[in-house]
Amino acid sequence: MKNNHFLSRFAGGLTSFLRSDASKFLAPALFLVIVFYVIPVGISAYMSFTPLKNWNIDRYATQFVGLENYWKLFYMVTHDPSMKAILLTTVVFVAVTLAVNVLGGLGLAIGTYFMSERAAGASQLLWLLPRMTPIAVYSLIWYYFFHPSNIGTINSVLMHLGLIDKPIDIGQGIIPWGPWSIIIFVNGLVGVSYGMIVFTSAISNIPKELVIAARVDGAGNWDITRKILVPLLKWHIIYVTTWQLLSLITTYDHIFLLVQWNLVNRDYGSTWSLYVYNTAFQAGETDQGLAAAAGVVLVLISAVLGLITLKLMGFERMIREPRGDI
Amino acid sequence: MPGMRDVEIRRRWVEVAIALAVLAFSLPVIIGYSLMILSSFSEKMVTGLDPASFQPTIQNWVLLFQGRTALFAGYRVDIWRIVLSTLTVALGISALVTLVGSLTGYAISRMKFAGRKHLMAFLILLHAFPGSVLVVGVAFIYRLFLPPYQYVHTYSFFFVILARASIEIPMATWLMKGFFDMIPWEIEWSAIVDGASRFRVWWKILLPMIKPGVAAVMLFGFLAGWMDLIYVRTFLAEPTLAVFIEHNANAEYAYLPLVAAAGTLYLLPTILFFLFAQRLIFTITVSGVKG
Repeated sequence: MKNNHFLSRFAGGLTSFLRSDASKFLAPALFLVIVFYVIPVGISAYMSFTPLKNWNIDRYATQFVGLENYWKLFYMVTHDPSMKAILLTTVVFVAVTLAVNVLGGLGLAIGTYFMSERAAGASQLLWLLPRMTPIAVYSLIWYYFFHPSNIGTINSVLMHLGLIDKPIDIGQGIIPWGPWSIIIFVNGLVGVSYGMIVFTSAISNIPKELVIAARVDGAGNWDITRKILVPLLKWHIIYVTTWQLLSLITTYDHIFLLVQWNLVNRDYGSTWSLYVYNTAFQAGETDQGLAAAAGVVLVLISAVLGLITLKLMGFERMIREPRGDI
Repeated sequence: MPGMRDVEIRRRWVEVAIALAVLAFSLPVIIGYSLMILSSFSEKMVTGLDPASFQPTIQNWVLLFQGRTALFAGYRVDIWRIVLSTLTVALGISALVTLVGSLTGYAISRMKFAGRKHLMAFLILLHAFPGSVLVVGVAFIYRLFLPPYQYVHTYSFFFVILARASIEIPMATWLMKGFFDMIPWEIEWSAIVDGASRFRVWWKILLPMIKPGVAAVMLFGFLAGWMDLIYVRTFLAEPTLAVFIEHNANAEYAYLPLVAAAGTLYLLPTILFFLFAQRLIFTITVSGVKG
């Protein structure tokens, strides 16, 4: 009975929505989001129950294997060394990059706060550059930087300083921290700007009187940072942390070429998200069923995190009722 | 954006020290980008500490524009065609994202409708959706509607533009909503009372009032399309600059200074935006982040 009531309410809401002006404005977005977001996710979930391989849709897409892909995934996580490496890499990558992003963003926001306006603007612009750079170019820059031969910047610098005799292969030779440092470094530089922007705009909303009063009382930059800025930014820090956590779990495009170009080790340079993509598209024999199963696990984790973030954002407060209906 | 400054009684040398610390922290970014750009004008890769490695030449650029991928052997490619494909995708995505984002942003900013709250929460969640999972499902749809061979080329362009634009729609909507929110409701109210339809109001009155906002979303969409790697390499039947770089950076015949030139060419719009459209860059990131 209750269910029925819910359904009729939903149907009523739907018809009134379709009749409204708003539905015409929303139609294109809804179409795109449904075709290229909602349905693909449904398909991915469905694929995780099929033995789909090598994109042979005609042959495999209608077969049903139950939870087999999930068992396979579970078995790999517990037995396959390279899958274990990927899982470990994901955990370390997410944890360390998260710390780099949040602390780096906070450091930059506070650092630029104490700088002159022009210098602050210039350094913030500089830190936005990685985010706005074509991914292939960005990867190329760090490919040179960490290149295992003497053309690599790191190797060249270390050799000139006399710290090493011959070039070292950071991404393939020093397992696991070599590839880990590279992927953390590369993603860290992109992510820092997010925290920087949120914190900068939050700091600019802090009443100036607080800082002036502290100055008059003789407080230095460090006291102001520790006793005023950071405590007032508490919620922003929590929010940036959860949002960045979410992005880091799902990101893969900035690592993709580094693995593709063999700059970093395939196992200790791949995260779970990249594993999903590579299993579906790149490996010799692609296995979309397995990739989809690994993907569904990722979706579940990020959905929970996403809902937590929404709560933290104070979403309810953000959506004031609109004006504009007569 | 640099907002309110600190009070004026801080000491000068402290400020310089902090600026130097930030500069030191930023050094890898500065070095990385400069070395690539310098290398594109050099016979050998410029490696950092060794000034002798910079031997100025424009040969790399000449080779690149001739479509050669190596000094001697290597493939011949039509680099202008590659640039054109990249541009087509970027402009297509920019146009689509701007149009759809401004329609949706308007509705969310100004209209009451059933499920408005849920739609907004949904858009935020989509923004953080695992892209690699999405692309697997999108690839299934791509194959499901694959046309006869001679149309695949055109189909792939349309597909990439639509699919890639969809990913940016949540963010574009959010940006546009922010701009519409700033316009006082009374302005369009009078037009509506005079009998104008919502579409007319949106097109004739509101959009012209938020030209900077529209420009920001166009720029944002362009950059998103221009910088994309995964969608173009997975679906597009034609190489873009991203794919060109992917294939040439570590190939057997790779001539790295030439790849550096390709990278610099690919980076050019970003550099231009950073030189001439700084306000727009801040607008995109700040309002995008604030929601």
